[in-house]
Amino acid sequence: MPIIEVDQITKEFSGQVALNKISFSIQQGEVFGLVGPSGAGKTTLLQLLTGQVKADTGQAKVLGHTTNRLRGEQLQEIGIMTDNSGLYDRLSIYDNLKLYCRLYGCSLKRIEEVLMIVHLGAEQKKKVQHLSKGMRQRVLLARALLHEPRLLFLDEPTSALDPMNTYYIHQGLRALNQKGTTIFLTTHDMREAEALCHRVAFLHEGKLPLMGSPTKLRERFSDATVTVRLTGREPMILQNGPEDAKKMYDYFCSNQVVTIHSNEPTLDEIFIHVTGRGLV
Amino acid sequence: MNLSIQRTLAIFLKDVKDVTRNLFVTTTLLVPILLAIAYRNLGDITLEIHYTVINLTFSSVTAFVQCTLIAEEKEKNTLRTLMLSPATTSEILLGKSLLSLLITLITILLCIQITGYVPEHVGLFALGIIGSCLFYLALGTVLGLITKSVMEASVVVLPIMFLFGFGTMLETLASNNAYLKLLEYLPNLQLLRFAELLEQQKFTSLGLPLLVIGIWSVLSALLAVMVYRKQLNSR
Repeated sequence: MPIIEVDQITKEFSGQVALNKISFSIQQGEVFGLVGPSGAGKTTLLQLLTGQVKADTGQAKVLGHTTNRLRGEQLQEIGIMTDNSGLYDRLSIYDNLKLYCRLYGCSLKRIEEVLMIVHLGAEQKKKVQHLSKGMRQRVLLARALLHEPRLLFLDEPTSALDPMNTYYIHQGLRALNQKGTTIFLTTHDMREAEALCHRVAFLHEGKLPLMGSPTKLRERFSDATVTVRLTGREPMILQNGPEDAKKMYDYFCSNQVVTIHSNEPTLDEIFIHVTGRGLV
Repeated sequence: MNLSIQRTLAIFLKDVKDVTRNLFVTTTLLVPILLAIAYRNLGDITLEIHYTVINLTFSSVTAFVQCTLIAEEKEKNTLRTLMLSPATTSEILLGKSLLSLLITLITILLCIQITGYVPEHVGLFALGIIGSCLFYLALGTVLGLITKSVMEASVVVLPIMFLFGFGTMLETLASNNAYLKLLEYLPNLQLLRFAELLEQQKFTSLGLPLLVIGIWSVLSALLAVMVYRKQLNSR
Protein backbone atom coordinates (compact mmCIF):
# COMPACT_ATOMS: atom_id res chain seq x y z
CA MET A 1 0.00 0.00 0.00
CA PRO A 2 1.41 3.46 -0.86
CA ILE A 3 2.43 5.60 2.09
CA ILE A 4 1.25 8.74 0.28
CA GLU A 5 -1.61 8.78 -2.22
CA VAL A 6 -2.62 11.95 -4.02
CA ASP A 7 -5.66 11.79 -6.26
CA GLN A 8 -6.73 14.66 -8.52
CA ILE A 9 -5.83 17.39 -6.03
CA THR A 10 -6.69 20.96 -6.96
CA LYS A 11 -5.94 24.05 -4.89
CA GLU A 12 -6.57 27.67 -5.78
CA PHE A 13 -5.60 30.85 -3.96
CA SER A 14 -7.67 33.92 -4.88
CA GLY A 15 -8.52 32.50 -8.28
CA GLN A 16 -4.93 31.49 -9.02
CA VAL A 17 -4.39 27.77 -9.50
CA ALA A 18 -1.56 26.50 -7.31
CA LEU A 19 -2.18 22.79 -7.89
CA ASN A 20 -4.13 21.48 -10.84
CA LYS A 21 -5.52 17.92 -10.68
CA ILE A 22 -2.32 16.41 -9.36
CA SER A 23 -2.08 12.66 -8.82
CA PHE A 24 0.81 10.48 -7.66
CA SER A 25 1.70 7.93 -5.03
CA ILE A 26 4.79 7.19 -2.96
CA GLN A 27 5.81 3.79 -1.65
CA GLN A 28 7.27 2.97 1.76
CA GLY A 29 11.05 3.52 1.83
CA GLU A 30 11.18 5.88 -1.13
CA VAL A 31 12.90 9.25 -1.22
CA PHE A 32 10.65 11.35 -3.40
CA GLY A 33 11.63 14.82 -4.58
CA LEU A 34 9.19 17.45 -5.70
CA VAL A 35 11.16 19.79 -7.91
CA GLY A 36 10.17 23.14 -9.27
CA PRO A 37 11.01 26.83 -9.29
CA SER A 38 10.04 29.13 -6.41
CA GLY A 39 6.31 29.77 -6.42
CA ALA A 40 5.52 26.57 -8.35
CA GLY A 41 3.32 25.25 -5.53
CA LYS A 42 5.78 22.88 -3.84
CA THR A 43 5.19 24.25 -0.35
CA THR A 44 1.41 24.27 -0.93
CA LEU A 45 1.52 20.58 -1.81
CA LEU A 46 3.66 19.81 1.24
CA GLN A 47 1.29 21.79 3.47
CA LEU A 48 -1.62 19.92 1.96
CA LEU A 49 0.00 16.56 2.67
CA THR A 50 0.70 17.54 6.28
CA GLY A 51 -2.85 18.73 6.87
CA GLN A 52 -1.97 22.42 7.04
CA VAL A 53 -4.02 23.31 3.98
CA LYS A 54 -7.22 21.78 2.63
CA ALA A 55 -7.59 20.84 -1.03
CA ASP A 56 -10.42 22.41 -3.04
CA THR A 57 -11.08 19.13 -4.84
CA GLY A 58 -9.52 15.69 -4.85
CA GLN A 59 -8.15 13.67 -1.99
CA ALA A 60 -4.77 13.08 -0.39
CA LYS A 61 -4.00 10.25 1.98
CA VAL A 62 -0.95 9.91 4.19
CA LEU A 63 -0.32 6.63 6.03
CA GLY A 64 -3.82 5.63 4.93
CA HIS A 65 -5.51 8.66 6.51
CA THR A 66 -7.11 11.62 4.77
CA THR A 67 -4.71 14.52 5.30
CA ASN A 68 -7.24 17.00 6.68
CA ARG A 69 -7.94 14.57 9.49
CA LEU A 70 -4.38 14.02 10.66
CA ARG A 71 -4.41 13.90 14.45
CA GLY A 72 -2.07 12.92 17.29
CA GLU A 73 -1.74 9.25 16.39
CA GLN A 74 -0.83 9.92 12.77
CA LEU A 75 1.33 12.94 13.59
CA GLN A 76 3.31 10.61 15.88
CA GLU A 77 4.51 8.78 12.75
CA ILE A 78 5.30 11.89 10.73
CA GLY A 79 8.27 14.23 10.92
CA ILE A 80 8.01 17.70 9.40
CA MET A 81 10.79 20.14 8.71
CA THR A 82 9.93 23.33 6.89
CA ASP A 83 12.04 26.42 6.39
CA ASN A 84 9.69 28.38 8.65
CA SER A 85 9.59 25.81 11.44
CA GLY A 86 10.32 27.61 14.67
CA LEU A 87 12.83 27.08 17.45
CA TYR A 88 12.96 28.62 20.91
CA ASP A 89 15.80 31.12 20.59
CA ARG A 90 16.46 31.62 24.30
CA LEU A 91 16.74 27.88 24.94
CA SER A 92 19.66 25.59 24.16
CA ILE A 93 19.60 23.05 21.36
CA TYR A 94 19.22 20.33 24.00
CA ASP A 95 16.24 22.03 25.67
CA ASN A 96 14.53 22.58 22.33
CA LEU A 97 14.85 18.89 21.54
CA LYS A 98 13.89 17.86 25.07
CA LEU A 99 10.48 19.50 24.68
CA TYR A 100 9.76 17.50 21.54
CA CYS A 101 11.13 14.33 23.09
CA ARG A 102 8.47 14.73 25.80
CA LEU A 103 5.75 15.58 23.28
CA TYR A 104 6.52 12.52 21.17
CA GLY A 105 7.12 10.34 24.20
CA CYS A 106 10.63 9.26 23.21
CA SER A 107 13.63 8.63 25.42
CA LEU A 108 16.01 11.53 26.14
CA LYS A 109 18.80 9.31 24.82
CA ARG A 110 17.44 10.02 21.36
CA ILE A 111 18.65 13.61 21.67
CA GLU A 112 22.29 12.48 21.71
CA GLU A 113 21.62 10.12 18.80
CA VAL A 114 19.98 12.67 16.53
CA LEU A 115 22.58 15.30 17.38
CA MET A 116 25.26 12.83 16.30
CA ILE A 117 23.44 12.35 13.00
CA VAL A 118 23.44 16.10 12.26
CA HIS A 119 26.92 16.60 13.75
CA LEU A 120 25.84 18.92 16.53
CA GLY A 121 26.72 16.75 19.50
CA ALA A 122 29.34 19.19 20.76
CA GLU A 123 27.05 22.20 20.40
CA GLN A 124 24.04 20.90 22.34
CA LYS A 125 24.37 23.45 25.16
CA LYS A 126 24.53 26.39 22.77
CA LYS A 127 21.52 28.68 22.75
CA VAL A 128 19.64 28.63 19.47
CA GLN A 129 19.92 32.42 19.15
CA HIS A 130 23.68 32.02 18.72
CA LEU A 131 23.46 29.48 15.90
CA SER A 132 24.09 30.08 12.19
CA LYS A 133 21.30 29.42 9.68
CA GLY A 134 22.91 26.15 8.71
CA MET A 135 23.10 24.97 12.30
CA ARG A 136 19.47 25.95 12.89
CA GLN A 137 18.47 23.87 9.86
CA ARG A 138 20.37 20.95 11.33
CA VAL A 139 18.58 21.39 14.68
CA LEU A 140 15.26 21.39 12.81
CA LEU A 141 16.24 18.19 11.07
CA ALA A 142 17.33 16.67 14.39
CA ARG A 143 13.94 17.58 15.85
CA ALA A 144 12.11 16.00 12.91
CA LEU A 145 14.11 12.80 13.42
CA LEU A 146 13.65 12.53 17.21
CA HIS A 147 10.70 10.15 17.15
CA GLU A 148 12.06 8.05 14.25
CA PRO A 149 9.16 8.90 11.95
CA ARG A 150 7.96 6.51 9.29
CA LEU A 151 7.47 9.43 6.97
CA LEU A 152 9.50 12.63 6.82
CA PHE A 153 8.44 15.82 5.03
CA LEU A 154 11.18 18.30 4.20
CA ASP A 155 10.63 21.69 2.62
CA GLU A 156 13.82 22.95 0.95
CA PRO A 157 16.01 21.29 3.59
CA THR A 158 19.27 22.81 2.42
CA SER A 159 18.20 26.09 0.84
CA ALA A 160 20.89 28.75 1.27
CA LEU A 161 23.20 26.44 3.19
CA ASP A 162 26.93 26.13 2.70
CA PRO A 163 28.31 22.88 1.24
CA MET A 164 29.42 21.57 4.65
CA ASN A 165 25.97 21.96 6.23
CA THR A 166 24.35 20.54 3.09
CA TYR A 167 26.68 17.55 3.28
CA TYR A 168 25.76 16.87 6.93
CA ILE A 169 22.05 17.11 6.20
CA HIS A 170 22.29 14.82 3.15
CA GLN A 171 24.33 12.33 5.14
CA GLY A 172 21.69 12.34 7.90
CA LEU A 173 18.86 11.84 5.42
CA ARG A 174 20.56 8.93 3.69
CA ALA A 175 21.17 7.21 7.02
CA LEU A 176 17.54 7.69 7.95
CA ASN A 177 16.25 6.36 4.64
CA GLN A 178 18.46 3.29 4.99
CA LYS A 179 16.60 2.56 8.22
CA GLY A 180 13.31 2.58 6.30
CA THR A 181 12.00 6.14 6.63
CA THR A 182 10.14 7.40 3.60
CA ILE A 183 11.18 10.94 2.68
CA PHE A 184 9.17 13.51 0.75
CA LEU A 185 11.21 16.59 -0.02
CA THR A 186 10.72 19.73 -2.01
CA THR A 187 13.67 21.46 -3.59
CA HIS A 188 14.64 23.71 -6.43
CA ASP A 189 18.16 22.31 -6.30
CA MET A 190 18.41 19.62 -9.00
CA ARG A 191 21.75 18.39 -7.69
CA GLU A 192 20.12 17.76 -4.34
CA ALA A 193 17.26 15.92 -6.04
CA GLU A 194 19.73 13.78 -8.01
CA ALA A 195 21.86 13.08 -4.97
CA LEU A 196 19.03 12.02 -2.67
CA CYS A 197 15.91 10.97 -4.55
CA HIS A 198 14.82 7.63 -5.90
CA ARG A 199 12.16 9.48 -7.88
CA VAL A 200 11.56 13.10 -8.74
CA ALA A 201 8.49 14.91 -10.00
CA PHE A 202 8.64 18.23 -11.81
CA LEU A 203 6.03 20.70 -10.64
CA HIS A 204 5.25 23.37 -13.20
CA GLU A 205 2.25 25.71 -13.27
CA GLY A 206 0.39 23.50 -10.84
CA LYS A 207 0.89 20.30 -12.81
CA LEU A 208 3.35 17.41 -12.79
CA PRO A 209 4.50 17.13 -16.40
CA LEU A 210 7.21 14.56 -15.64
CA MET A 211 8.01 12.02 -12.97
CA GLY A 212 10.54 9.23 -12.65
CA SER A 213 13.92 8.18 -11.32
CA PRO A 214 16.70 10.68 -12.08
CA THR A 215 18.71 7.99 -13.92
CA LYS A 216 15.77 6.90 -16.06
CA LEU A 217 14.85 10.50 -16.87
CA ARG A 218 18.40 11.27 -17.96
CA GLU A 219 18.45 8.14 -20.10
CA ARG A 220 15.10 9.01 -21.62
CA PHE A 221 16.24 12.45 -22.67
CA SER A 222 19.75 11.37 -23.62
CA ASP A 223 20.89 11.50 -27.25
CA ALA A 224 23.10 8.44 -26.69
CA THR A 225 26.37 10.21 -27.44
CA VAL A 226 29.66 10.60 -25.59
CA THR A 227 32.19 13.41 -25.75
CA VAL A 228 35.73 12.14 -26.13
CA ARG A 229 38.81 14.25 -25.58
CA LEU A 230 41.99 12.96 -27.16
CA THR A 231 45.59 14.03 -26.60
CA GLY A 232 46.28 17.27 -28.43
CA ARG A 233 42.91 17.40 -30.21
CA GLU A 234 39.56 19.17 -29.79
CA PRO A 235 36.81 17.17 -28.01
CA MET A 236 34.62 15.16 -30.37
CA ILE A 237 31.17 13.68 -30.08
CA LEU A 238 30.72 10.01 -30.87
CA GLN A 239 27.45 8.18 -31.36
CA ASN A 240 26.25 4.64 -30.92
CA GLY A 241 27.02 2.50 -33.96
CA PRO A 242 29.77 0.44 -35.60
CA GLU A 243 31.48 3.39 -37.27
CA ASP A 244 32.11 5.39 -34.07
CA ALA A 245 32.74 2.17 -32.12
CA LYS A 246 35.62 1.40 -34.48
CA LYS A 247 37.01 4.92 -34.02
CA MET A 248 36.74 4.57 -30.28
CA TYR A 249 38.53 1.22 -30.35
CA ASP A 250 41.37 2.75 -32.35
CA TYR A 251 41.68 5.73 -29.96
CA PHE A 252 41.93 3.36 -27.01
CA CYS A 253 44.46 1.13 -28.76
CA SER A 254 46.65 4.13 -29.58
CA ASN A 255 46.45 5.53 -25.99
CA GLN A 256 44.99 8.82 -27.22
CA VAL A 257 41.96 9.00 -24.91
CA VAL A 258 42.20 11.63 -22.15
CA THR A 259 38.54 11.75 -20.99
CA ILE A 260 35.14 10.36 -21.98
CA HIS A 261 31.93 12.04 -20.84
CA SER A 262 28.43 10.75 -21.32
CA ASN A 263 26.15 13.39 -22.79
CA GLU A 264 23.12 12.62 -20.68
CA PRO A 265 21.26 15.82 -19.87
CA THR A 266 21.17 17.09 -16.30
CA LEU A 267 17.83 17.33 -14.51
CA ASP A 268 18.08 21.11 -14.95
CA GLU A 269 18.28 20.68 -18.72
CA ILE A 270 15.42 18.19 -18.72
CA PHE A 271 13.31 20.59 -16.68
CA ILE A 272 13.98 23.41 -19.13
CA HIS A 273 13.26 21.08 -22.04
CA VAL A 274 9.93 19.95 -20.55
CA THR A 275 8.66 23.22 -19.14
CA GLY A 276 10.38 25.78 -21.30
CA ARG A 277 11.76 27.58 -18.26
CA GLY A 278 14.54 27.26 -15.74
CA LEU A 279 14.62 26.89 -11.99
CA VAL A 280 14.92 30.10 -10.04
CA MET B 1 -10.93 15.28 26.26
CA ASN B 2 -7.53 13.80 25.52
CA LEU B 3 -5.00 15.05 28.05
CA SER B 4 -1.47 13.81 28.61
CA ILE B 5 0.06 15.18 31.80
CA GLN B 6 3.55 14.53 30.42
CA ARG B 7 2.97 16.67 27.33
CA THR B 8 1.23 19.42 29.29
CA LEU B 9 4.07 19.55 31.81
CA ALA B 10 6.66 19.52 29.01
CA ILE B 11 5.16 22.69 27.55
CA PHE B 12 4.92 24.27 31.02
CA LEU B 13 8.54 23.42 31.91
CA LYS B 14 9.74 24.76 28.59
CA ASP B 15 7.90 28.02 29.31
CA VAL B 16 9.44 28.24 32.79
CA LYS B 17 12.95 28.03 31.31
CA ASP B 18 12.12 30.39 28.50
CA VAL B 19 10.43 33.06 30.61
CA THR B 20 13.21 33.24 33.20
CA ARG B 21 15.42 34.47 30.33
CA ASN B 22 12.80 36.88 29.02
CA LEU B 23 13.29 40.34 30.54
CA PHE B 24 10.24 41.69 28.73
CA VAL B 25 7.99 39.37 30.71
CA THR B 26 9.84 39.34 34.03
CA THR B 27 9.85 43.13 34.36
CA THR B 28 6.07 43.16 33.82
CA LEU B 29 5.69 41.25 37.07
CA LEU B 30 7.03 44.25 38.93
CA VAL B 31 4.12 46.54 37.96
CA PRO B 32 1.52 45.32 40.50
CA ILE B 33 4.19 44.79 43.16
CA LEU B 34 5.41 48.38 42.81
CA LEU B 35 1.80 49.59 42.91
CA ALA B 36 1.21 47.57 46.07
CA ILE B 37 4.30 49.10 47.69
CA ALA B 38 3.14 52.58 46.68
CA TYR B 39 -0.32 52.05 48.18
CA ARG B 40 1.18 50.59 51.38
CA ASN B 41 3.29 53.72 51.79
CA LEU B 42 0.18 55.89 51.40
CA GLY B 43 -1.41 54.02 54.33
CA ASP B 44 -5.13 53.46 55.06
CA ILE B 45 -5.79 50.91 52.35
CA THR B 46 -9.45 50.33 51.52
CA LEU B 47 -10.95 47.17 50.03
CA GLU B 48 -11.18 48.95 46.64
CA ILE B 49 -7.44 49.57 46.71
CA HIS B 50 -6.65 45.97 47.60
CA TYR B 51 -8.71 44.88 44.61
CA THR B 52 -7.27 47.55 42.32
CA VAL B 53 -3.90 45.88 42.92
CA ILE B 54 -5.38 42.39 42.43
CA ASN B 55 -7.23 43.38 39.26
CA LEU B 56 -4.12 45.07 37.93
CA THR B 57 -2.25 41.82 38.56
CA PHE B 58 -4.84 39.99 36.48
CA SER B 59 -4.62 42.37 33.57
CA SER B 60 -0.91 43.24 33.62
CA VAL B 61 0.39 39.84 34.64
CA THR B 62 -2.17 37.14 33.79
CA ALA B 63 -3.57 38.53 30.54
CA PHE B 64 -0.37 40.28 29.47
CA VAL B 65 2.04 37.40 30.13
CA GLN B 66 -0.34 34.88 28.58
CA CYS B 67 -0.89 37.10 25.55
CA THR B 68 2.86 37.64 25.12
CA LEU B 69 3.69 33.95 25.49
CA ILE B 70 1.15 32.95 22.85
CA ALA B 71 2.02 35.84 20.51
CA GLU B 72 5.71 34.97 20.68
CA GLU B 73 4.97 31.35 19.81
CA LYS B 74 3.02 32.63 16.82
CA GLU B 75 5.64 35.13 15.75
CA LYS B 76 8.47 32.58 15.89
CA ASN B 77 6.37 29.87 14.20
CA THR B 78 6.80 27.58 17.19
CA LEU B 79 3.04 27.42 17.77
CA ARG B 80 2.64 26.04 14.27
CA THR B 81 5.26 23.41 15.06
CA LEU B 82 3.48 22.53 18.31
CA MET B 83 0.23 22.18 16.36
CA LEU B 84 1.94 19.70 14.03
CA SER B 85 3.11 17.59 16.96
CA PRO B 86 0.93 14.94 18.62
CA ALA B 87 0.02 17.41 21.41
CA THR B 88 -3.73 18.05 21.50
CA THR B 89 -5.51 21.41 21.76
CA SER B 90 -6.16 20.94 25.48
CA GLU B 91 -2.55 19.94 26.19
CA ILE B 92 -1.15 22.94 24.34
CA LEU B 93 -3.60 25.48 25.78
CA LEU B 94 -3.33 24.11 29.32
CA GLY B 95 0.45 23.79 29.13
CA LYS B 96 0.69 27.36 27.85
CA SER B 97 -1.55 28.63 30.67
CA LEU B 98 0.06 26.95 33.67
CA LEU B 99 2.97 29.35 33.92
CA SER B 100 0.80 32.48 33.73
CA LEU B 101 -1.48 30.95 36.38
CA LEU B 102 1.44 30.19 38.67
CA ILE B 103 3.00 33.63 38.22
CA THR B 104 -0.36 35.28 38.87
CA LEU B 105 -0.96 33.39 42.11
CA ILE B 106 2.54 34.17 43.40
CA THR B 107 2.20 37.85 42.47
CA ILE B 108 -1.21 38.14 44.16
CA LEU B 109 0.17 36.48 47.30
CA LEU B 110 3.08 38.91 47.32
CA CYS B 111 0.82 41.91 46.69
CA ILE B 112 -1.67 41.10 49.46
CA GLN B 113 1.26 40.51 51.79
CA ILE B 114 2.52 43.99 50.93
CA THR B 115 -0.87 45.73 51.16
CA GLY B 116 -1.77 43.69 54.24
CA TYR B 117 -5.04 42.29 52.92
CA VAL B 118 -6.45 39.45 54.99
CA PRO B 119 -9.52 37.96 53.35
CA GLU B 120 -12.47 37.08 55.53
CA HIS B 121 -12.65 33.54 54.20
CA VAL B 122 -9.51 32.18 52.48
CA GLY B 123 -11.28 29.35 50.64
CA LEU B 124 -13.94 31.60 49.11
CA PHE B 125 -11.35 34.27 48.33
CA ALA B 126 -9.29 31.63 46.48
CA LEU B 127 -12.40 30.57 44.55
CA GLY B 128 -13.02 34.14 43.38
CA ILE B 129 -9.35 34.56 42.44
CA ILE B 130 -9.12 31.28 40.50
CA GLY B 131 -12.40 31.97 38.70
CA SER B 132 -11.21 35.43 37.65
CA CYS B 133 -7.80 34.07 36.71
CA LEU B 134 -9.38 31.66 34.24
CA PHE B 135 -11.10 34.57 32.51
CA TYR B 136 -7.88 36.58 32.16
CA LEU B 137 -5.93 33.53 30.97
CA ALA B 138 -8.50 32.90 28.25
CA LEU B 139 -8.54 36.59 27.35
CA GLY B 140 -4.74 36.64 27.07
CA THR B 141 -4.85 33.49 24.95
CA VAL B 142 -7.40 34.98 22.54
CA LEU B 143 -5.41 38.22 22.21
CA GLY B 144 -2.18 36.29 21.67
CA LEU B 145 -3.81 34.15 19.00
CA ILE B 146 -5.36 36.98 17.02
CA THR B 147 -2.20 39.08 16.92
CA LYS B 148 0.79 38.36 14.74
CA SER B 149 3.69 39.49 16.89
CA VAL B 150 4.69 40.29 20.44
CA MET B 151 4.84 43.98 19.52
CA GLU B 152 1.28 43.93 18.18
CA ALA B 153 0.09 41.92 21.18
CA SER B 154 1.59 44.34 23.67
CA VAL B 155 -0.31 47.19 22.01
CA VAL B 156 -3.60 45.30 21.74
CA VAL B 157 -3.45 44.33 25.41
CA LEU B 158 -3.19 47.96 26.60
CA PRO B 159 -6.90 48.89 26.47
CA ILE B 160 -7.65 45.58 28.16
CA MET B 161 -5.19 46.44 30.91
CA PHE B 162 -6.86 49.80 31.34
CA LEU B 163 -10.43 48.47 31.29
CA PHE B 164 -9.84 45.59 33.66
CA GLY B 165 -6.84 46.84 35.61
CA PHE B 166 -8.27 50.16 36.66
CA GLY B 167 -11.85 49.04 36.28
CA THR B 168 -12.75 49.82 39.87
CA MET B 169 -12.58 53.49 38.89
CA LEU B 170 -15.25 52.78 36.28
CA GLU B 171 -17.69 52.08 39.05
CA THR B 172 -18.22 55.77 39.74
CA LEU B 173 -18.75 56.36 36.04
CA ALA B 174 -21.19 53.47 35.80
CA SER B 175 -23.31 54.69 38.65
CA ASN B 176 -23.99 57.98 36.80
CA ASN B 177 -25.12 56.48 33.52
CA ALA B 178 -27.84 53.89 32.89
CA TYR B 179 -26.09 52.36 29.85
CA LEU B 180 -22.77 52.21 31.61
CA LYS B 181 -24.44 50.27 34.40
CA LEU B 182 -23.64 47.20 32.31
CA LEU B 183 -20.00 47.81 33.19
CA GLU B 184 -20.85 46.59 36.67
CA TYR B 185 -21.03 43.11 35.18
CA LEU B 186 -17.40 43.19 34.13
CA PRO B 187 -15.46 40.42 35.91
CA ASN B 188 -13.17 42.87 37.74
CA LEU B 189 -16.12 44.76 39.26
CA GLN B 190 -17.87 41.50 40.05
CA LEU B 191 -14.75 40.37 41.89
CA LEU B 192 -14.88 43.57 43.94
CA ARG B 193 -18.58 43.01 44.62
CA PHE B 194 -17.74 39.45 45.66
CA ALA B 195 -15.04 40.75 48.04
CA GLU B 196 -17.41 43.30 49.57
CA LEU B 197 -20.03 40.62 50.23
CA LEU B 198 -17.34 38.37 51.63
CA GLU B 199 -16.17 41.15 53.91
CA GLN B 200 -19.73 41.68 55.11
CA GLN B 201 -20.02 37.91 55.59
CA LYS B 202 -23.07 37.76 53.32
CA PHE B 203 -22.14 34.29 52.17
CA THR B 204 -25.55 33.51 50.69
CA SER B 205 -25.26 36.46 48.28
CA LEU B 206 -21.88 35.39 46.90
CA GLY B 207 -23.47 33.18 44.26
CA LEU B 208 -24.38 35.96 41.81
CA PRO B 209 -20.94 37.60 41.42
CA LEU B 210 -19.35 34.14 41.31
CA LEU B 211 -21.83 33.08 38.64
CA VAL B 212 -21.10 36.19 36.55
CA ILE B 213 -17.35 35.62 36.85
CA GLY B 214 -17.92 31.96 35.96
CA ILE B 215 -19.92 32.90 32.85
CA TRP B 216 -17.18 35.31 31.73
CA SER B 217 -14.58 32.57 32.26
CA VAL B 218 -16.50 29.87 30.41
CA LEU B 219 -17.36 32.14 27.48
CA SER B 220 -13.82 33.41 27.10
CA ALA B 221 -12.40 29.88 27.40
CA LEU B 222 -14.78 28.72 24.65
CA LEU B 223 -13.73 31.67 22.53
CA ALA B 224 -10.05 30.82 23.11
CA VAL B 225 -10.61 27.21 22.01
CA MET B 226 -12.59 28.39 18.99
CA VAL B 227 -9.89 30.84 17.87
CA TYR B 228 -7.21 28.20 18.46
CA ARG B 229 -9.12 25.63 16.40
CA LYS B 230 -9.48 28.18 13.62
CA GLN B 231 -5.72 28.70 13.64
CA LEU B 232 -5.23 24.94 13.74
CA ASN B 233 -7.33 24.47 10.64
CA SER B 234 -5.48 27.21 8.80
CA ARG B 235 -2.06 26.02 10.08
